[in-house]
Amino acid sequence: MTPFAVKDCALLVRMSGLPPAINLRELRERVAACSENVLFHHFCESLLRPAFDHPDYRNDFAVWAKWYLSDRVLAERLGILDPYTVKSLEELRAITLDIFDERLSEVVAIPSAAPGDEFYFLEATTVTFDTGERVNSPKELGAAIRKMTNGSIFFHFLEARRRIPVGMDDFSAWLKGEEKKNAKYIRALGSIDFYFHSLSNLKEEIIAALAKVERKR
Amino acid sequence: MTLSAYERIVGPSAITQLYRLGKRLKGRRIVHVNSTREGGGVAEILDWMVPLMCEVGLNASWEVIRGTEEFFEVTKNIHNGLQGRPVDISHRDWKIFQDVNEANMDRLRPILKSADIVVVHDPQPAFLLPLCEGRKGKWIWRGHIDISRPFRPVWKVLRTMLEKYDGSIFSMCEFAQSLPHTQFIVTPSIDPLSPKNRDLEPAECETVRSRFGLDPDRPLLVQISRFDRFKDPVGVIQAYRLVRKVLPIQLVLAGGSATDDPEGKAVLEDVLEAAGDDPDVHVLDLPPTAHETINALQRLADIILQKSTREGFGLTVTEGMWKGKPVIGGDTGGIRLQVVNHYTGFLVNTPEGAAHRIRYLLHHRERIGEMGKDAREFVRENFLLTRHLREYLTLILALRGDVTARILEV
Repeated sequence: MTPFAVKDCALLVRMSGLPPAINLRELRERVAACSENVLFHHFCESLLRPAFDHPDYRNDFAVWAKWYLSDRVLAERLGILDPYTVKSLEELRAITLDIFDERLSEVVAIPSAAPGDEFYFLEATTVTFDTGERVNSPKELGAAIRKMTNGSIFFHFLEARRRIPVGMDDFSAWLKGEEKKNAKYIRALGSIDFYFHSLSNLKEEIIAALAKVERKR
Repeated sequence: MTLSAYERIVGPSAITQLYRLGKRLKGRRIVHVNSTREGGGVAEILDWMVPLMCEVGLNASWEVIRGTEEFFEVTKNIHNGLQGRPVDISHRDWKIFQDVNEANMDRLRPILKSADIVVVHDPQPAFLLPLCEGRKGKWIWRGHIDISRPFRPVWKVLRTMLEKYDGSIFSMCEFAQSLPHTQFIVTPSIDPLSPKNRDLEPAECETVRSRFGLDPDRPLLVQISRFDRFKDPVGVIQAYRLVRKVLPIQLVLAGGSATDDPEGKAVLEDVLEAAGDDPDVHVLDLPPTAHETINALQRLADIILQKSTREGFGLTVTEGMWKGKPVIGGDTGGIRLQVVNHYTGFLVNTPEGAAHRIRYLLHHRERIGEMGKDAREFVRENFLLTRHLREYLTLILALRGDVTARILEV
């Protein structure tokens, strides 16, 4: 089995160049026109940005709908969206727009934020680098993950799903090199409901799932 | 202080990551330029950032521009204008601004011209770039202040200087302006081991309490900030008076003035007048080196106030939260990013709003402890210098390649 190369990453956040949205209609227009990177950032990369530990929702659109549009119905519908369960970011965009359109058809007045509370569209560059560390066998994986930074967890377990093979984390992709032998590890990783975890919690979940497999061996 | 000292606070993996990033930037020459060595948040950030950048392998240095009294009066006006106050800056004033930048350029040219990266902090040295012909490296402008709604005539002039930069950094996306280069978002941070934030022995706090005649048996409210109208110290006294009618509280307004802020004296006089002869309002004009005193005052406080009407980021908010205190802050700028309403403190818009939240917390004392605990952990995760340094190193690495790429392998 080829050793697993541990990478690390850090996020560099920048303005997307899109004008901010002040109400739901403008939010809809911008989400329809924004790049996939912008969409990915607001759905997935908020984990690497300053955010309170216990946000109500994991994506920025739901948080904004709740706090600044004061539209709890919209917030709830957006909040349950899991970007990792859809096939592509375009599909995610279509689902999101559908939720916006549905809400626009229900409300009498367009939900609006106060001046100063606009939604700003951001995107990020993920700067990645090889740590030089290697994992030689599935048995070592749990201990190696314990030493990883949140950046490594994000890159290998979440960001990986945008890369080929799409929808799969790097650890599972590596374990698939010997699929039959590593089936239990792959199943354990696949059973984690990861989207609603903070990165630190996610790390603990992955370690716990791998440890459980080890104990049963 | 070396990076290893922070390991017990942020964990070993965060420190390892910094060394890994630094290794890829070994020997790169980075120069920070600002306008004061002491006083204010920028100087405090550079005080730790430059040595730590050197520790991870960069060749970093910090240059301070020299200016006349007249120059700093002009730059204070520019600062106020950028934060939205209508100000009158004449052609002569802009000429003073440019002349001082030119004089500094003559002095700093060899250092700035040969640097790989120059980070210019705030407007005072912003005109250095147009003067640096044949520069080798990339120049980034770092705006620390709230320029979300600038007074347009000031912004229009400054913009002509800033648009020549290779990129800019703002503390929040609300502050970013239309500029023809990439605008990065990097929030500031505090140093948890600095004299202003390190743990103190109870005796050290008690010494400060006695020194200023503070009563240990009555609740204490503390606002630490420069004497600046945007920090609304008079509004804090108004809030105190509203609460004082029903609760026996004490208030400390402590600050000093940065060398680049000539308006501080006039504001201090206004504050003293507003305080009158009330023995429970303690207005303390502290020297810029009174870090331990500020540290102790924040720890002695029951509630930290930062009732700013405009705020770049508000490092005093971060400091208060790091000491496990809830913060009642103005609903503006970076305070919004730190004070998570009802979780780490309260956001308020008026002296009345501040008074209401003070009374709420003093009547629900258990919430002070709960919010304070959450506030400290929130700072640990997001606003300590290790995260800040990581983002700067990432930015410098990204500047070597395509800063707009989705993934950049370095």
